[in-house]
Amino acid sequence: MMTREEAQTLARKVIGFSTFPECQVTITASEQAYTRFANNGITTASFNLRHNLSIALTRDGHTGDMAVSDLDDDSLRAAVRKAEELAAIAPPNPQALPPLGPQNFPATHDFDERTAAARAPEMIPHVKTVIDAALERKLVAAGLIERTHRVTAIANKSGLFGFHNASDSQMTTTVRAPDGSSSGWAGQPSMRLSDIDSPKLASTAIEKCARWKNPQRLDAGNYTVVLEPTAAGDLVRLMAGSFSARSTDEGRTFLSKRGGGTLLGEKLFPDFVTLRTDPFDPRQPSSPWTGDLLPTSAITWIDKGTVANLAYDRYWAMKTGKQPTPGGGGGGFGFGFGFGGGGSLLMEGGNATLDELIASVERGLLITHFWYIRTVNPQTLQQTGLTRDGVFLIENGKITTPAMNFRFLESPVRLLKNTKSLGPAMRVRGLEGGMMIAPALVATDFPLPSISDAV
Amino acid sequence: MLTRRHFLAASAALAGNLFAVPKDSGSPSPDLEKLGDVALREAKKHNATYCDIRIVRLRDQRIGLRLSPERGTGKTLAVPNVSEDSSFGFGVRVIVNGAWGFAASPIVTPAEIARITGEAVTIAKANATIQPKPVILAPVKAYRVRWETPHEQDPFAVPVAEKIDQLRSAAESIKKNARVFSGSAALSLHSEDKYFASSEGSSIQQLILQIYGNLNATAVDREKGISRSRSYQPTQASAGWEYVPEMNLGENAERIREEVVEHLSAPPVRAGKKDLVLLPSHLCLTIHESVAHPTELDRALGYEANYAGTSYITMDKIGTRIASEHCTFIGDRTSRRALGTAGYDDDGVKTTQFTIIDQGIFRNYQTTREQAHLVGDKESHGCCQADSWATVPFQRMPNVWLKAGPAATPLEDLISGIDDGVLIDGTGNYSIDQQRYNFQFGGDAFWEIKGGKKGNMISRAAYQGRTPDFWQACDGTAGPAYWLQFGLTGDAKGEPTQINSISHGCSPSRFRQINVMLTD
Repeated sequence: MMTREEAQTLARKVIGFSTFPECQVTITASEQAYTRFANNGITTASFNLRHNLSIALTRDGHTGDMAVSDLDDDSLRAAVRKAEELAAIAPPNPQALPPLGPQNFPATHDFDERTAAARAPEMIPHVKTVIDAALERKLVAAGLIERTHRVTAIANKSGLFGFHNASDSQMTTTVRAPDGSSSGWAGQPSMRLSDIDSPKLASTAIEKCARWKNPQRLDAGNYTVVLEPTAAGDLVRLMAGSFSARSTDEGRTFLSKRGGGTLLGEKLFPDFVTLRTDPFDPRQPSSPWTGDLLPTSAITWIDKGTVANLAYDRYWAMKTGKQPTPGGGGGGFGFGFGFGGGGSLLMEGGNATLDELIASVERGLLITHFWYIRTVNPQTLQQTGLTRDGVFLIENGKITTPAMNFRFLESPVRLLKNTKSLGPAMRVRGLEGGMMIAPALVATDFPLPSISDAV
Repeated sequence: MLTRRHFLAASAALAGNLFAVPKDSGSPSPDLEKLGDVALREAKKHNATYCDIRIVRLRDQRIGLRLSPERGTGKTLAVPNVSEDSSFGFGVRVIVNGAWGFAASPIVTPAEIARITGEAVTIAKANATIQPKPVILAPVKAYRVRWETPHEQDPFAVPVAEKIDQLRSAAESIKKNARVFSGSAALSLHSEDKYFASSEGSSIQQLILQIYGNLNATAVDREKGISRSRSYQPTQASAGWEYVPEMNLGENAERIREEVVEHLSAPPVRAGKKDLVLLPSHLCLTIHESVAHPTELDRALGYEANYAGTSYITMDKIGTRIASEHCTFIGDRTSRRALGTAGYDDDGVKTTQFTIIDQGIFRNYQTTREQAHLVGDKESHGCCQADSWATVPFQRMPNVWLKAGPAATPLEDLISGIDDGVLIDGTGNYSIDQQRYNFQFGGDAFWEIKGGKKGNMISRAAYQGRTPDFWQACDGTAGPAYWLQFGLTGDAKGEPTQINSISHGCSPSRFRQINVMLTD
C-alpha cells in the first residue's frame, strides 16, 4: 500500500506537471478482501487492488477535473494536459474560492494493521462458524465478511498536504428456514477484524430466524416501535444532509423556517436527543478533513433536543459572513462523511437495555432493521421502506408473536420527536451501507401503512 | 479546443493504446491477446479448470451547469461542473478444485497479471475447503471477435464547448420564468473498452458507449415552506453523439419550466383506490423493480439472500400465471440503443433475446453459465456482468421490455376508459421489499384523470401495491407507436454492491384500482 512519503512524492510530481496557478491532487489507493457465502457455501471471494489520482486545475476561476488510474509519468502528464484543456473550455465558476494553504490535520487513529493485512485464512473461519451453526439447526446461511484498507492523500500547489490511512471490516449474515418461512439477520461493523464475533452473529441470526417462524398478519396502522440500533441508525443517519446551512437558508430542509430563516437554536426534540459528529471516536473511521479540506473537529448538531449548529461550507460561510464549519467530514454536513459514508455520525444513547425498552411497551413492535429506504420528500425527510428479517409484536412488555413485515412511511425528524427512551449506542451499518453510532429507541405513532408478504 | 486528435493522444497515453485496432478489424488487438494469454497460461500452471481475464478501460465525462440566484443580489450564477474519469485495470477469475477465485489490479503488465492470477488461485483453493458442490458451467462456443455499440460519431470527440453551449441554452430557458428558483442541465458520457479471454478459447474485444442527459427545475414557495421540482429525463441510450439532437433538450426545457410552477401550486392527490395510466418514462422503473429483479435466478435460489433478497417468483411458478394476458416481457441484451446491450456477456456468451413472461405466464429466469443447469437449461441466457475490471462478474438483469398492445390502441383510449384516475410521468421515489412483493412508487409529475379526460396537475401522490396483484390489474397497453424505452443507470445488486445500466421499454399502460396515497 502507498506510504505517506510515496503519496507526497507522487502528488508533488503531478503538481509540478501543471502550469496553472491552482492545482489540487487527490490520491486514493485501496485494497479489499472479501468472501461471500450463500446456501451454506462460499459463492464468491475477491482480493482487489485499486488506485486513482484526480487532478483539479484552476486558472482565473476556470476549473477542469480529471481522474486516472494510470500512474506512470506519461499518463499523468497527459492527464494534466487534459485537465488544463477542460479548464480552458469550462465556464468560470462564480463560487470558486482561493485554495487553502498548509493545514494542521488531526490524527484520527483509523488504522489497524492486522485488519488491513487480513486475507482468506483470517476470514474463512468466521464463515465456517456461521455455516456450521446454521447447518446444526438445519437452516440456511448467507452473508459477507470483508475488510478494506484505504489510503487517501490530498495536496495542492499552495502547500497543503494531508494523508489518511484507514482500515475497516464487517460481517453480516442472514439465516433462513429452508422452506423460506423465516429469516433472521445480524451484522457487525468493526474497526478491527479481530473483534468480529462470528459465534454471536450466528446465534443472533439463528435465534431471530427461529423466533420469526410463520409470522402473523397484523393490521396496518400506527404502532409504538422498539427499533434495534441498526433500525434506528437506518433512519437517523438520513437527517445528516439537512444540516447544510445553504440548503436550509434556501428553504429546502426541515430546518428551514416558513417565511424565511432557520430553526437554529430552537428545541425540536426531547432532552435526551443529542446528535454529533466526532472524527475521534475510536469505534468508527472518519476523515481528518472536511470536503473543503479544512481540519475536522467534533461538532454537536442537536444538543439535548435543540438545533445547535448548521454546516457552512467555505463558499456559503463567505457569502453569509460566518466561519466555515470544521466538521461533518464533508463540505456541508452530509455531503460525504469520508470513509464509508456517514462514518463519523453519532447519536448519544441512554441507559436502558434492549430488554428494558421492550418491557416498557404495552403494545408495539420490535423491529430488527429496514430495507430499501428511499426519500419521499427531501424537505420533510419523509422516507419509505420496509421492515426485514425479524418483526415481533410486543404485548404487556413481552414479545408474544412474530409479525409479517410492514412498509413504513415516516420522517426521522418525526421519529425523534416521538422518541420516548433510548438504549446504549453502538456502531451500526445498514444493509444499504450507511454507518453511524446509534442507540436502540422506543418511539410512538410510527406509521406502517401496509403489509408485505416478503420473508 | 479539444479535438479528436487530442483525445486519441490522451487515450493512447492513459491506456497504453492497448485497445486501438483498425476500425474495420473484426479481431481483437494482438497486444490484448498477448496479455490475456499470460493469465490463461498461469492459471493452467496452477491446475485451474477454468480461467478468464477481463482487461477494461472505463471512461466517464460529466458536464453540468446549474443556474441559481446569488444570495443578496439575486443575480443568476451559473455554476459549471466539467470532469472526466478514466479507470484501467484487469480482473482474473479462476475455478480450482471446483471453487471460484477472483483477484484484480490496476497495474496492467504481464508480471502483475501472472501475480494476480496466482492470487485468484490461492483464493479458489481456500474457498474449496468449505465448498459443498463444485461449480458447473454450461457449454459456450469459443469466439474470436470484435464488437462495438453501433454509432456514427464518437461522443467523446465532440468538443466540450459544444456540449456546454447546449446545456447553457437549456438551463437558461428553464430559468426564464422568474418563479423558477434553480435550473440545471447535465450530460454524461460513458465508454467501456473491454477485452475478455477465456480458457475455453474465446478472445472478445468490445466497445460500449452510453449517453445520459438530464434537465431539472426547482421552484420554492417560502411563505408556504415548500419546494417542488420537475425533471426531464431523456431516454438514456447506448449510442453515439448523433443521438443527442433526439433528446430535444430545448423544447423540453420550456415544458418543465412551466410545469414546475404548476407543480408548486398543484393540489394534493385525494388518496384512495384509483385507476392509473403509467407512461413509459415512469413504468420503466416499475418494470425494473417488480418484473426484472424477481426473475433473476440467483435471487430465486437464495444467492442474494443477505442483501438484495430473494424472489416471490420461486421455481414452482414456472408455467403459472403471474400477470394479466396483456403482459409479455422479453429479456434482451440485443435491443437497439438499450443500455444493457452488448455483443457478449462477461461469461463470453453471445447475447440473446428470450421470453420471461408470455401473456402473463412465467416462462424463463435470467441466467449465467454457472446457473443454467440449475433450471435444466443447456445454455446461459447471457446475463453475466461485472461493473468494473475490479469486480466479480455475476448474474445481472438484461434489458427487460413489455410488448406493446394492439396497433389500434392509442393512449387516449386508455385514458377515456377511466372515471377516477391518475396519469404519471417520470420516476420519483421507489421502494420494494426483498422478495419484490410490496412496492411503493412516486413519480415526477401527476395529472388527475376525471370522466375519461386528462385534467390538471396534482401533487404529492404515490401508489402502493403487491406485485402479482398489480400486474394482474393491467387491462391494457397502448400500441407500438407509443412504445419507448428508458434507461436506468443505478441498478444496485451484490455484495460489495455493483451498479448495472439497463433499459426497459413499454407503451403507456393502464392498471385498475390501485392504492394511491398522499405523501408529504
